[in-house]
Amino acid sequence: MAVEVMKPPSMTSPDPNMSMGIELMALERRERLIHTLKIAIVWIVLILILGLFLMSLDFDPKYMFQHFKFVLAGAGLTIGISIVSILIAAVLALLGALGRLSTNSIAQGISGFYVSLVRGTPLLIQIFIIYLGLPQIGNQFRVHGYIGMANLFTLTAIQSGILALSLNYGAYMTEIFRAGIQSISHGQREAAQAMGMTHGQTLRKVILPQAVRIIIPDIGNQFIAMQKDSSLVSFMGVWEITYRANRLARVDSKFMEMFLLAALMYWILTIVSSWLESRLEKNLARAYER
Amino acid sequence: MKRIYLALSLIVIASLFLAACAQQASTNDKLAEIIKRGTLIVSTDPAYPPQSQLVEGAQRPAGTKCTSDQRTATELKGFDIDTAKEIAKRLGVEVCFVTPDWTLITAGNWADRWDVSVGSMTITPERMTNLYFSQPYYTTPAEFFVHKDNTAYQKPSDLSGKKIGACTGCTYDAYLAGTLKIPGENIDYVVKDAKFTGYETDINALQDLALGDGVRLDAVLTALPTGQGAIADGLPLKPLGDPVFFEYLAAAVDKHSSLDEQNFVNKLNEVIKAMHADGTLKNLSQQFYNTDLATAAAAFDVGQLNQFSK
Repeated sequence: MAVEVMKPPSMTSPDPNMSMGIELMALERRERLIHTLKIAIVWIVLILILGLFLMSLDFDPKYMFQHFKFVLAGAGLTIGISIVSILIAAVLALLGALGRLSTNSIAQGISGFYVSLVRGTPLLIQIFIIYLGLPQIGNQFRVHGYIGMANLFTLTAIQSGILALSLNYGAYMTEIFRAGIQSISHGQREAAQAMGMTHGQTLRKVILPQAVRIIIPDIGNQFIAMQKDSSLVSFMGVWEITYRANRLARVDSKFMEMFLLAALMYWILTIVSSWLESRLEKNLARAYER
Repeated sequence: MKRIYLALSLIVIASLFLAACAQQASTNDKLAEIIKRGTLIVSTDPAYPPQSQLVEGAQRPAGTKCTSDQRTATELKGFDIDTAKEIAKRLGVEVCFVTPDWTLITAGNWADRWDVSVGSMTITPERMTNLYFSQPYYTTPAEFFVHKDNTAYQKPSDLSGKKIGACTGCTYDAYLAGTLKIPGENIDYVVKDAKFTGYETDINALQDLALGDGVRLDAVLTALPTGQGAIADGLPLKPLGDPVFFEYLAAAVDKHSSLDEQNFVNKLNEVIKAMHADGTLKNLSQQFYNTDLATAAAAFDVGQLNQFSK
């Protein structure tokens, strides 16, 4: 076919190659759109099938609708605890990764021990130990007259939960940070050192900015997992989503309703946060696009 | 660079010690602290209606002294909750609730996060290693149930050598085996040599008994409210005679508190005895359970537990 026919009327460029390129890009975009639409249709079909499954369960959607507000009131706590914990966990993970990669035997020993101990024990047990155990250490201070120290060790339920989640996720994320830092080519480090940068400068200005871009998807993944694991703080009586759903279920024996409601809320939360994560990922990748 | 780290860590350590010195122990007595604070912090798990359940859409009263991570009296309801409210009222303080998991309550070592558990806790020797118990505020009577059609059995002792069902590993199992120990009570084992059948829960045993008199079971030993609930649900059963023993449900206080608990426990005993004497607890029991579970608890002698003997 003739090039003249393909040329859109609005095009000002007289260059036939250029207009063909634009045409090709439009074609690509159309194909991408169709692909997205196909995925959306698959999702809709799957949601319909899920709905059919749920219909066969014995539950009362009206009850869910009437009582969702009480459960939703716990969403703030769930989100807040997760955000604070992931931030502290990221700091711990960075320190842990630097320890693991360091040549100092003490730093390596500490971080290796931390990762091994915390990754090797269940989160719920850690929560119980921190909640019940720390005040007993504090009591030793109290006996010796350091009341302030003792109070420092007596954490509230929310503080205990945040500490346990941070420690736990910090250990897992140590490995992520370590992999991220190691993925940066050794040449970069050598180049930075050749320019006279110190070890700290190399890390801050060269290695970490590039490593962060690589590990952001993994951190996002951990954040999603954390939002769900934050439900474990309900054991200490924190009124977040799981606690509210569970205890409200007991009032009228509406267990399936409340479990489905809580599941739906966590799902929506994680959809939102994975969307935010993908935005952040795109943003950080911009410098690498051509 | 290294010097900055050193300075920073010194500052952190110094501030920790300053914080340590800044606060002094104001008082060493739990009761005095509660009165001074103006709130009684009670633990309850709102998972067990009608003892304790949450209230949807409740408003916190203005000017409450409860902190934001505590619940006010409006946010919960039930038999335990009303009992706790009344105890606080008689101490002249506001009641605030916290809702840790049952495991954390029975474990002791509360670190003074809360003062007392008013949570229908059965007094057991194991729990007494971690907790002090008050005068019980009500009881769970253990009652034999037989099939409605049965006329042969008049009293529990008639059931010796018969087929009796109960939950496996629970107090009823221990009673039939003759090994039950309840602090402060001498148990009279009136049923001898029962042919015991264990069940996952009491309800399963009652359902087997309901199949017919002597078909699978001759009798079931269970909590009086459980059996009455099954009868209300239409099972053809009837209670046999008087309860054979009582489990006592009391308020509990942490043994590992950093404060002296003795005055507080004595005061709790005094308040609960007064609530028995003026009929408050009996009325609450009628209101929530449609039966008097409180009077038998009034007769319990809490002094027998010897909790403060050195």
